[in-house]
Amino acid sequence: MSGLAWVVLLVVVLAVGWYLTYSAARLDRLHARAEGALTALDAQLVRRAEATLELANSGELDAASSLILAAAASESLERQTEHLVDGDLLDGVHFGGRESVESDLTAALTTALTPDVVAQVRAAGQIGAADLERIEAAAIRVQLARRFHNNAVTDVRRVREKGVVRLFRLAGHAPLPETVEFDDTVPGVRR
Amino acid sequence: MKIGIVCPYSFDVPGGVQFHVRDLAEHFIAEGHTVSVLAPGDEDGRHPHYLVPCGRAVPVRYNGSVARVNIGPVTATRTSRWLDDGDFDIVHLHEPVTPSVSLLALRATDRPVVATFHTSLLRSRAMQAASPLLQPLIERILGRIAVSEAARSTVTSHLGGDAVVIPNGVRTRFFRDAEARAEWQGAPEAPTLAFLGRIDEPRKGLHVLAEAMTQILAAHPGTRLLVAGPGDVEAARDRLSPAVRAATTFLGLVSEEEKSALLTSVSAYVAPHTGGESFGIVLVEAMAAGAPVVASDLTAFIGVLGTPPAGVVFPVADAGALAEAVVRLLDDGRLSDRLRLAGPRRAAAFDWDTVATQIMAVYETVLHAADSAQADSVWSRFFRGGRST
Repeated sequence: MSGLAWVVLLVVVLAVGWYLTYSAARLDRLHARAEGALTALDAQLVRRAEATLELANSGELDAASSLILAAAASESLERQTEHLVDGDLLDGVHFGGRESVESDLTAALTTALTPDVVAQVRAAGQIGAADLERIEAAAIRVQLARRFHNNAVTDVRRVREKGVVRLFRLAGHAPLPETVEFDDTVPGVRR
Repeated sequence: MKIGIVCPYSFDVPGGVQFHVRDLAEHFIAEGHTVSVLAPGDEDGRHPHYLVPCGRAVPVRYNGSVARVNIGPVTATRTSRWLDDGDFDIVHLHEPVTPSVSLLALRATDRPVVATFHTSLLRSRAMQAASPLLQPLIERILGRIAVSEAARSTVTSHLGGDAVVIPNGVRTRFFRDAEARAEWQGAPEAPTLAFLGRIDEPRKGLHVLAEAMTQILAAHPGTRLLVAGPGDVEAARDRLSPAVRAATTFLGLVSEEEKSALLTSVSAYVAPHTGGESFGIVLVEAMAAGAPVVASDLTAFIGVLGTPPAGVVFPVADAGALAEAVVRLLDDGRLSDRLRLAGPRRAAAFDWDTVATQIMAVYETVLHAADSAQADSVWSRFFRGGRST
């Protein structure tokens, strides 16, 4: 081969190498973004459940509503604790099929916290009012975090479908992240 | 929190995005945050203390209007310097996919990025052509905000994924507390209608209202049309029929004070826009001021008016339907009274207190995710060495 051909070959090899490194780094960043977003979602779900449990125990709601809320919130907190134990690092961060539990908590909140009840607890101005505020703040952030997480997942999946990424297995052993779908309506808000 | 906001359009020219950035920055500063805004402008120009100019803007036709943006190596250097000096916790870009300083900042920053999409008219062809270039940049946006459902569906169809809807903020108190002016005040025999917007920009729809005026005058001969907005008054006047011309007063470009007084005074505010509107901030201002709103049924407008609508809508560009709607409103005092009450209530949802709280929630969520991502990245490299980086 002539000198020129070698130079061309070298340039091509370097360009391909650069592109692969770049793609792998991009993918790694995207994976980290999706996992970070899931951690944020997780934290807000814990806050929502804790505030719900506090409200249920505040004695400012009727006994039946309190019981429904306490049951749903405990269920959510229990699953979250389990998740922490078996969420080992080799397996990556995942939502662990908690969608139905969180949807149930949302449903319980929507049932118990009707606009009238919300107005009543607010007017009382006791500890329950502060709990309501925390529930609402957490519920809004749950919505945001879930959207941002699902966006990140969409981006990861799009890049992982690319031929280069599949051919050179740039994703390594990282599991394919999945979007998280559950009812995250903010309770007690007239829209 | 140290917040860096990037506005792609110059503060020297009035515009929805600029007002949004200005009000947001001032709101967060009042709350005690450190805010710096990067926007086009001259070093020696007059601008608010929190604004850092990134150089002179050049006019470019974009999205049907003339936008003043700036691009080039000098701007890129200044953007990087602003990011270094600011050491921001969060960088909030507005209109990140326009050829502007927002895009440059997105490229240059390594901080968590939030982006707000204002427009409902992304150039799909340009987006597709530049996609391999833009896609990795857009992936850096951790939190996407759209100002309306219209803007959100544009984001969804052009960029994929989703965005959270947080409306534009309005200083509703300013409009609610405005005082009426006798010269603009509507009366049963002499009702007044207000139009706001550039008079020579067809999508603002003055021609639709002008056409409807003939019919409105037939039913209510004393009606006066007050037109506020910049543009060639002589040319606009010539386009009107003699009867309509006699009933029309051109006020030219009005100040914020005059605008609020006008909206408080009139019998109805008419928004005959034919398209290209992603939000409809004037509708919120009119509602806050207590003016009954008659608006074309653009997706964005319907969203702003809410359910049940705090205004009367008519089919886009249908002058006959517009005339009927206005006449119905002028004839029906009960409807008019109901809208005067419903407007301010609906407008409260767009108050800056509400909107800024929601934006701060986005910042906090994004920061939490970014911190976790950083921590995770270190671990993922350690435990999953198999991933070839």
